[in-house]
Amino acid sequence: MAAPLVLVVLAAVTVRAALFRSSLAAFISERVEVASPLSAWKRVVEGLALLDLGVSPYSGAVFHETPLIIYLFHFLIEYAELVFMITDVLTAVALYLAIQDFNKVVFKKQKLLIELDKYASDVAELIRTPMEMHYIPLKVALFYLLNPYTVMSCVAKSTCSINNTVIAFFILATIKGSAFLSAIFLALATYQSLYPVTLFAPALLYLLQRQFIPVKLKSKSFWLYTLQYGALYLCSLVVIICLSFFLLNSWDFIPSVYGFILSVPDLTPNIGLFWYFFAEMFEHFSLFFVCVFQINVFFYTIPLAVKLKEHPMFFMFVQLAIISIFKSYPTVGDVALYMALLPVWSHLYRFLQNIFMLSCVLVVCSLLFPVLWHLWIYAGSANSNFYYAITLTFNIGQILLISDYFYAFLRREYYLTHGLYLQKQDGTEAMLVLK
Amino acid sequence: FQDQAEQFFRSSHTNNWAVLVCTSRFWFNYRHVANTLSVYRSVKRLGIPDSHIVLMLADDMACNPRNPKPATVFSHKNMELNVYGDDVEVDYRSYEVTVENFLRVLTGRIPPSTPRSKRLLSDDRSNILIYMTGHGGNGFLKFQDSEEITNVELADAFEQMWQKRRYNELLFIIDTCQGASMYERFYSPNIMALASSQVGEDSLSHQPDLGIGVHLMDRYTFYVLEFLEEIHPASQTNMNDLFQVCPKSLCVSTPGHRTDLFQRDPQNVLITDFFGSVRKVEITAETISLDPNLTTFESKPPKEELAAEPLKYAEQLPVAQIIHQKPKQKDWHPPGGFILGLWALIIMVFFKSYGIKHMKHIF
Repeated sequence: MAAPLVLVVLAAVTVRAALFRSSLAAFISERVEVASPLSAWKRVVEGLALLDLGVSPYSGAVFHETPLIIYLFHFLIEYAELVFMITDVLTAVALYLAIQDFNKVVFKKQKLLIELDKYASDVAELIRTPMEMHYIPLKVALFYLLNPYTVMSCVAKSTCSINNTVIAFFILATIKGSAFLSAIFLALATYQSLYPVTLFAPALLYLLQRQFIPVKLKSKSFWLYTLQYGALYLCSLVVIICLSFFLLNSWDFIPSVYGFILSVPDLTPNIGLFWYFFAEMFEHFSLFFVCVFQINVFFYTIPLAVKLKEHPMFFMFVQLAIISIFKSYPTVGDVALYMALLPVWSHLYRFLQNIFMLSCVLVVCSLLFPVLWHLWIYAGSANSNFYYAITLTFNIGQILLISDYFYAFLRREYYLTHGLYLQKQDGTEAMLVLK
Repeated sequence: FQDQAEQFFRSSHTNNWAVLVCTSRFWFNYRHVANTLSVYRSVKRLGIPDSHIVLMLADDMACNPRNPKPATVFSHKNMELNVYGDDVEVDYRSYEVTVENFLRVLTGRIPPSTPRSKRLLSDDRSNILIYMTGHGGNGFLKFQDSEEITNVELADAFEQMWQKRRYNELLFIIDTCQGASMYERFYSPNIMALASSQVGEDSLSHQPDLGIGVHLMDRYTFYVLEFLEEIHPASQTNMNDLFQVCPKSLCVSTPGHRTDLFQRDPQNVLITDFFGSVRKVEITAETISLDPNLTTFESKPPKEELAAEPLKYAEQLPVAQIIHQKPKQKDWHPPGGFILGLWALIIMVFFKSYGIKHMKHIF
């Protein structure tokens, strides 16, 4: 399996290199869908230039990345293109290895459940075979590397790619079972963009599953492991933050990075939901609505944890999607990450209800983004409502996609345990309805 | 004759300019246009030529469809005095009277295509009269019913003028409600300011004309003009008399003035230093030897530390100093402690996760 992966990687690197050398690079790096105030490359360069002039890069609300990024790019600024290509490749390889291992786990679990007779008798067509699961890791790497969103993100040199890499390594570490590395990568991801803290729950559930610790509130080993993992995570987070303090000898970066993410002062249009609302919100209410919007990201963790505690990887996928839909400054790079994981659940295809319409919605919206931007900003014949409509539709499409997958997953689980041809009490055919 | 010669140099200006601005439009603001045109007439009568007057009128009252007497703008009731006519040269008319244009005129930052008549081509020996009228409030003056100029902007514009040596002395007269707030923020030297009302007071209009149907003049300007009618180019009337114009009994509002930025004593400032363009020509058959150290006219010691500087021309930073003012390009390096800490952590994590036994493969 290494050879096809290498081929895919080579193809991806070629595409990116070609785009870097073309005139599209400048155009793409200006696009608001790709470069948000958090992740724009322009701002990184500006921050480094400010540092060279002897001024703190966090003065003036230009630079909102973490000090570790400053350190990384201080020495690598001339090789920036190479760095971003390498991060993309690393993400793809990490996802590939992670999904390979995950497939093994899934298959083992499935075998166990079959032998324990947990499945109903007529679900033969729902059982997954190694044959069909063989190419999934490659498809995941392919989906990530050749996704136009990723390519645009890489060409724009958006630091979202680096965030994706860290999250991919976190997923790899979690699946491999190393709580230590998983906590460290999660701390790095949280340190960079704060929202991955919600991935703590799925990672914890997965690690508990691996250690065969049942998730019961009264169980002591459960709490012990949770505390261990939580302590590892928090300690590494604290260590990283303290280390960042020593880079510039100031705590400036905390309001600039985390204050910025949480309080959303910059209302440049992006593909998210925050900008339009807060552009016309009265000052009086803005604090309340910022809180409401931010809670939206963290809110689904507990219910999903309750529902999906047997399937932490799916939970992680849904959580990643929720982060990239509801975060304060989303970009298409975030979307690319969870879309890369779609092939892992390609066996749910038969249960997806709206997949055709949703893929049309997503494709059309992505194509309409630049069109309506041009109409609004340059031609002046549209206004922000048009662009926001497309943003809304795109996000609705994403939400419906996730809920479609969620429902399909639950349906499959239900069919597995209750049989494919459901019957009501009196023997007629029953329909499964999501309540 | 020595004295006379020194008196010759008492006021240090050589040319006069006037910037007369009416900022309101619409028919019912007839009086503001009439104010400005009356001041224009007086200033022209006292000698400032059209080439040295920048007249900005925000609306055309003479040809307004509501004017029962077209092509006239009256400044006195019973239509006694028509201040309009075919020798009125309006430089900025109608929608050209904006805050931006006004500030550009003052500071001289005008596009190269602007005609001469629209420029204030003053130099460091110019005395400038700036007269503004319209609707104002505490700290601002309304332009054209759609924008405002604040007292801070105005003060900064005057400071720009000072730094570019665009005036020798400046007289600022404003006839609006709460006019005194507009001169509160001035901080450049050699500015004298007069206003028609204090902060919190309204300036009132003088008399309506029932034939035309609007108020024709504002009180303050009316009495200032009555005062100016007595002035002729050789008048020796000084500023203190101008400060007495329009007491509260006549004007209902309390006029204010500000002289703390002005170097000379208002007693010694002639009205014609600002309102007229008096050429200092004196014909004599005698020869007068001018003392090379004509320092006696600078008898007043400089009140603030600025005064020593401004009386000299072009006191600027030496060019050599300016050239070397680029900031030194110090390269920033991350502190050693940080690098050490970071890499120590990374190595610790690596060995913790992969085991100490790998160490011996490396070393």
